Amino acid sequence: MTAISFKRFAAAGVALAAIAAAPVFTGHAADAVAAVTRASDDAPTIVATRRLTETQYRNIIADVFSGDIEISGRFEPERREGFLMAIGTADLSITSGGYQQYVSMARSVGRHVVHEDNRATYFPCAPEGATQADDACMAEFVRQYGERLFRRPLTDAEVAERVDLARNGAEMAEDFYAGAELAVLSLLVSPDFLFRIENAETDPATGERRLDDWSMASRLSFLLWDTAPDAELLDAARNGALRTPAGLEAQVDRLVSSPRFEDGVRAFFTDVMQFDHFDGLAKEGNAYPKFSQEVANSAREQTLRTLVDILLTQNGDYRDIFTTRDTFMNRPLAAVYNVPYFGAGDWKPYSFDEESGRAGIFTQITFLSLFSHPQRSSPTKRGLALNEIFLCTETPLPPPNVDFSIVNDVNNALLRTTRARLLAHSTDPGCAGCHQLMDPLGLALEQYDALGQRRDAENGAAIDVTAELAGVSFAGAEGLGEVLKNDDRAPSCMVRNVFAYGVGRDPHSEWETTFLEAQTEAFAENGYRVPAMIKAIATSTDFYRLSDPESLETEENQTLAAGPVAAQATGEFQ
Amino acid sequence: MTSKFNRRSFMRGLCGGGAVVVGIPTLDAFLNENGNAYADGSALPVRLGTYFWGLGLTPGRWVPEKAGEGYELTPQLEPLGALRDKVSVFSDFVIDLDGKPNIQHWTGQAAIMTGVAASQGRSFNRGSFDVTAADALGVGTRFRSIEMTPFGKASLSYSTRTGSSFNTPETSPIALYTRIFGEGFQDPNSPNWSPDVGTMLRQSVLSSVAEQRAALLADAGAADRAKLDQYFTSVRETEQALESQLQRPAPAEACVVPASPEEVSRSGQIDIVNRNSDLMASLTAMALACNQTKVFNVVHSSATSETYLPGSTNIYHAITHDEAVDVELGYQPLSDRLATQAFFGYSGFLHAMEAIPEGDGTLLDNAVVLGYSDTGNAKIHSVENIPMFIGGGAGGRHKKGQHIVGNRGPVSRVSLTVQQLAGLPVGEYGIGSMQTSSAITEIMA
Repeated sequence: MTAISFKRFAAAGVALAAIAAAPVFTGHAADAVAAVTRASDDAPTIVATRRLTETQYRNIIADVFSGDIEISGRFEPERREGFLMAIGTADLSITSGGYQQYVSMARSVGRHVVHEDNRATYFPCAPEGATQADDACMAEFVRQYGERLFRRPLTDAEVAERVDLARNGAEMAEDFYAGAELAVLSLLVSPDFLFRIENAETDPATGERRLDDWSMASRLSFLLWDTAPDAELLDAARNGALRTPAGLEAQVDRLVSSPRFEDGVRAFFTDVMQFDHFDGLAKEGNAYPKFSQEVANSAREQTLRTLVDILLTQNGDYRDIFTTRDTFMNRPLAAVYNVPYFGAGDWKPYSFDEESGRAGIFTQITFLSLFSHPQRSSPTKRGLALNEIFLCTETPLPPPNVDFSIVNDVNNALLRTTRARLLAHSTDPGCAGCHQLMDPLGLALEQYDALGQRRDAENGAAIDVTAELAGVSFAGAEGLGEVLKNDDRAPSCMVRNVFAYGVGRDPHSEWETTFLEAQTEAFAENGYRVPAMIKAIATSTDFYRLSDPESLETEENQTLAAGPVAAQATGEFQ
Repeated sequence: MTSKFNRRSFMRGLCGGGAVVVGIPTLDAFLNENGNAYADGSALPVRLGTYFWGLGLTPGRWVPEKAGEGYELTPQLEPLGALRDKVSVFSDFVIDLDGKPNIQHWTGQAAIMTGVAASQGRSFNRGSFDVTAADALGVGTRFRSIEMTPFGKASLSYSTRTGSSFNTPETSPIALYTRIFGEGFQDPNSPNWSPDVGTMLRQSVLSSVAEQRAALLADAGAADRAKLDQYFTSVRETEQALESQLQRPAPAEACVVPASPEEVSRSGQIDIVNRNSDLMASLTAMALACNQTKVFNVVHSSATSETYLPGSTNIYHAITHDEAVDVELGYQPLSDRLATQAFFGYSGFLHAMEAIPEGDGTLLDNAVVLGYSDTGNAKIHSVENIPMFIGGGAGGRHKKGQHIVGNRGPVSRVSLTVQQLAGLPVGEYGIGSMQTSSAITEIMA
């Protein structure tokens, strides 16, 4: 059950013998547990648990119930691993503070669903009487919403569990809908909702382990729409359509050609472009009076609009994001870019002129302000971010005992610009190795201050934006854009990010490397069109292939999971 | 829960079946004649806090010359003021890396909170000691522990059960206020109390979720099992928090429900961060006085602190590296100012707890508050001589007000001592070279 034992009530300091004895609290914990426990022979084994992101949570609630529900609560922070939050979420659990927030958010959803004005919308049936329990109607309700929320059909025991909870509540409150509220709460605080639990099963034809159909549908839906599978995709999973190339392709086509695909692409770039740094972003008020939360929000939106326009609307060459002058402007941003903004309306297409020097996604306020200090620009931070975000290249930690005095001494009469100070610092042999890789990229963007405003001089000295990387000389943002556009790592990084984002792990096994190389080649052949590349990945069998079971390496796990793991190891991972 | 579950329907449910017995508080609220223990002889509860700030203190500006009792208030310790006699200072303790790299601005806090240097950034090798302490101390309280950061960044927390997921901090005074005194708060001194049936039913929902634990864990590999296990622990803790709300709260003499603080803007400017820290200090002290929690963890600023002085063009972290040591002064003057400000944050918490009377003393007398940082010399990322402090009387266990020189002993000795002062049955702490069973007995009564 259902949980409330007499003992528990007694412990709570309230003797509730009456309730414990009353039929409303009859439980069947043993039955439920037995039904949920799966037979060990052909057990679907959990192969991944990924915590829902905040946007995924919000998207699912909006899709399954309504976008009007106000979900006010604090989501736990995510963590970046292997360049992506999507990989980090596979490492994260839920702390008790975080769980309390989920409970409170679930309650607000529950209140909305059972509200008098909304019942007709959400309930597939009318209860026999509004002041009493109705198990049949409740079961129908739980089945319908449970499947959408858990991204798989509920077992009979899982339905019965909620029907019991609802009956108890309905009888106590003499209100069917008060019970329903408990059922909604129960669904929304379950691990099956809060985590994307991926299950493996045995392929009856080959005996090999594989991702089950429901997990395939989720992987697909979260990649392309950043939300749970819709009813049609769940049906495709139910009838085995995702197992056939034609069936899978039909679903991928449908999802990619939907306007919802834009949500997926936005979520992807929000992750890749490290927009989480907006959390806590602050600029020193005296130096940057134009900075505000509105500017930060607008900047983020501007970058996403630019990416969506180039990559989706125009179906353009991915590499154009490094050179584009076209973007969208709104009033708060126009003030920071110092460009005119005429007329009413929120957003207008805008092209930077040549004089602005702005070309490439990294000359927008998002990138320039996120990768700066609160008071000053930082070529090193920008260089490091360009390497990570667009080239998937990690920079080692700086050595200990670094003397940064030269870099940060803004009053140095001889070294007046950030550039001059940084170059002096980088002559230190211990520092040079990494700085040679980061700084040139960032130095090319020195014409933009810590908020992204254009400047031509720093402390009275003209700013030099020339740089040299691996023997190639370039200047300014345009030069940097050409360098990135011609860097082979850029398209392969994009392909890697799409795959890693979808599967939630850092791909480094042999088959993954081979797969990514082939996908990168195909990406080049199709003219670096992103939708086609994403489609190719989403329709490939490797996107659904089980990962090499790293966790097997621990002795403890080998003992505990010997059955299914052995099959996995011998059947698929050689 | 819906308002349908009102007191009347609850009583109806009760009466429908028979007897109604209303519970009494589990703790006898009466104190003994001396006011230093409950009438039944059991000690007043000890509260545990940790307070982290980034970048240590400034070399040459904080370590007292005098060891033992009556140490002098060095310039950076001045914020302690009259509380000096309630705070012990620890200098010259070190971190044994055991071959691991010194992960800048991470190794320090990891080693102090877990007793072992971290192998990688972003996670600790295991859970932090405050969580196990909270499991023991926090039984029956509404919140097992409360985390917060006046800097306003949700990723600033070093409190972790697993080493991987960190307990999320409240990021503003108003958020902290809402968490503690918002929905679900029961005034312990309110004359009217009845158990809320909605709470009870929600608890039943969580119990049913918790019952999936064994089945789900049996299906998972080691990594997923660890994550799911933490999830189910969180479910249990939330369930227990609801259960605590079904008890009539014991009266709490010093508990006065505070007014809601005003919304403040987020900023790295040090005076704003400290104002937030002080607001959080008062709220936390009252949360303790109102028995809402027994454990709290604060991160004043990140280890690469982005705080800055008003009007400055440089953040603290950059300053520690760039600023030359002033030849005449013998230290970095700007770093000194920022470090002193950071220490105001810690001492502000102690002062707020001192302001609340409890028994024959103060709340601080029944608390242990560890103050710590990540580096001993931020300019070079040294993890030697990281400043550490233990404030509070630990219910009489702490022979407080001493300066202890560590002679290069491991920081885990201080971590172990904190736990023992909090009354936890922990005999040894740390891993590898940091393993120690040698608590700092000089400060233990």
